[in-house]
Amino acid sequence: MSSFESISEKLGTTEPWVDKGGVHWLVLDAAKVREVAKTMNEIQARFITITAYQLPKDEGFRLEYHWDLNGQLLGFSFQLAGKSIESIFDLTEAADWIEREIHEEYGIDFTGREYEPLLLRQGETMGVNLRDAVAASQEKI
Amino acid sequence: MSYKIPMGPYHPALEEPYKLDMICEGETVLDAKLHIGFNFRGIEHLAETRNHIQAIALMERVCGICSFIHTLTFCRAMEGLTDQTPPPRAQYIRVIMAELERLHSHVLWAGIAAKLMGFKTMFMTCFEIREKIMDILAAISGNRVNYSMNRIGGVNRDITDPQSILKMVEKLESEMAHTVIPIFTTSRTARSRCAGIGVLTKEHAISCAVVGPVARASGLPQDLRKDAPYAAYPEMEFDVPVVPDGDVRARLLVRALEIMESCKILRQALSKLPPGEFHTGDDKFNFITGTSTARVEAPRGEVMYSVSWKEGSRNPARVHVRTPTFAVMPAIRWMVKGARLADTTLIQASIDPCYSCTDR
Repeated sequence: MSSFESISEKLGTTEPWVDKGGVHWLVLDAAKVREVAKTMNEIQARFITITAYQLPKDEGFRLEYHWDLNGQLLGFSFQLAGKSIESIFDLTEAADWIEREIHEEYGIDFTGREYEPLLLRQGETMGVNLRDAVAASQEKI
Repeated sequence: MSYKIPMGPYHPALEEPYKLDMICEGETVLDAKLHIGFNFRGIEHLAETRNHIQAIALMERVCGICSFIHTLTFCRAMEGLTDQTPPPRAQYIRVIMAELERLHSHVLWAGIAAKLMGFKTMFMTCFEIREKIMDILAAISGNRVNYSMNRIGGVNRDITDPQSILKMVEKLESEMAHTVIPIFTTSRTARSRCAGIGVLTKEHAISCAVVGPVARASGLPQDLRKDAPYAAYPEMEFDVPVVPDGDVRARLLVRALEIMESCKILRQALSKLPPGEFHTGDDKFNFITGTSTARVEAPRGEVMYSVSWKEGSRNPARVHVRTPTFAVMPAIRWMVKGARLADTTLIQASIDPCYSCTDR
C-alpha cells in the first residue's frame, strides 16, 4: 500500500489524490481538518503552512493546508461554507502564527483556540477581512 | 518575584523591528511572548495588482538578503503555470547564484554573531569577506542586493567567464577556511559564549516545524536540495551538515560547515556549466488557470510560494509566501525559556531572523 493510500485509509476517504502544480492534493470536507492534522502527526509529516483563498461573490473561502512528507508536498483543500473552521493549533503547534495571520487577514475564525494580541497589525480590532476593508477605504477615496 | 522585560521593537541585536516580552525571575527567563507585524507591508496583496514582470520585481523585495531565492521560488511556481522548463545552463546559473547568496547570508550572520559575542575583530573580518562575495554577485548580475537575475524560463544574464568567477570563489574559500571556519569551530571564545545556551530540543524542533540550519542544528536532517531537489542540485555532490546539540554553538557549527559545502557546490557548478541558452526566449506567456507551488532551500530554510492564476488575467489571483523565519521564530520562546537574560540577545540572533520576510 502506498503512503497516499494509507493516508486515505486513516482518514476514511475514497477521494482520489490529484498530482497538480507540484502538490499531491486531497480535497476533503472541512469537518475533517483535525483528523488530517492527527494523521499527519502520526506519519511524522512536517507542517508547512495554510493558504487562504477568498472565493468570488458569496462562495466563501478555501483553505489549503500543506505538509511535507519526506520531500513530498501534500496538500489538503477545504472549502468553507461560512467563515469558521476548527483550529489545529493544539495538535500542531506550528500552525499557531498562520492561523492568527489568516484570522487577521480574512476574518476567518479558527474555533477552539484563543487569540493572542494581533500578530500583524497594531490596534484592537480582530478578525477583520483586510481585503474588504481596503476595498471599502478605496471607495471612500 | 517575577517581572517583565520587553526587548524591542528597537532591538539591541538586530536592525529590524520585533518585540520579545520576557517574564523573568532574577536573571532567569521563565517564559516569553513574541510580537511581530511592526512593518507589515501587504506584499501578497500588492502582488495581485501587478503583472508577471512587475510581480517578480516586487517579490525580489520581500527580503534584502535572499532576494534571489524569492524570485527563484516565485519564477519556479510561475513556470509550473506556463509550462516552461529552463534550459540546463539556466539551472546551473540558478544554483551558482543561490549558493553565493547562501554564503553571503551565512557570512553576514557570522559577523553579527561575532559582534554579539564581543568578538569585534571577527565581525570586521566577516564583513570584509562578505564584500568579496557581493563583488562576485555584482560581477555576475551587475547588482549587489536585488540581482534581477530570474525570469520565467531561465535567467536574465549569462555567466560568460565562469573560470574567472571560479578563481574568485577559490580565493574566497581559502580565506574563509583560514579565518571564519576555524574560529567558529574551534575558538574558545565562541565555544564558551555559545555552548549549551538557547537549546531547542529535537522534540520542540519537530513540534514547531522549524526549518533550515536551525532544524539541522537540532538533529533534523532536512534540506530541500536533497529531499526535493530542484534546478541543477540533483547533479551536485554535497553533504548536509547535521549537529544534534540544538544550542547556539550547534547553529554556528552548522552554518560554518554549510559555508564549506556551498563552496564545494560552487566549484562543481562553475566547472561543469553546460553550454547553451540561459533562458527559453519566451516573453509572452499563456498562464493556465490553477495554482502552482514551489519550494526552495533558502539560506535560512525552506521558502514556499503558492501562485494562483486565472487564464486571460494579467495579474496573479493569489500569491502566498511562507518564509523560513515565519516558521522558525515561534521556536525562540522555547530557546529562551530557562536562559540567562544576558544570553537572550545572542539566542535570538542565532536563528538568523529576517523580519523583512516575516512582515512580508
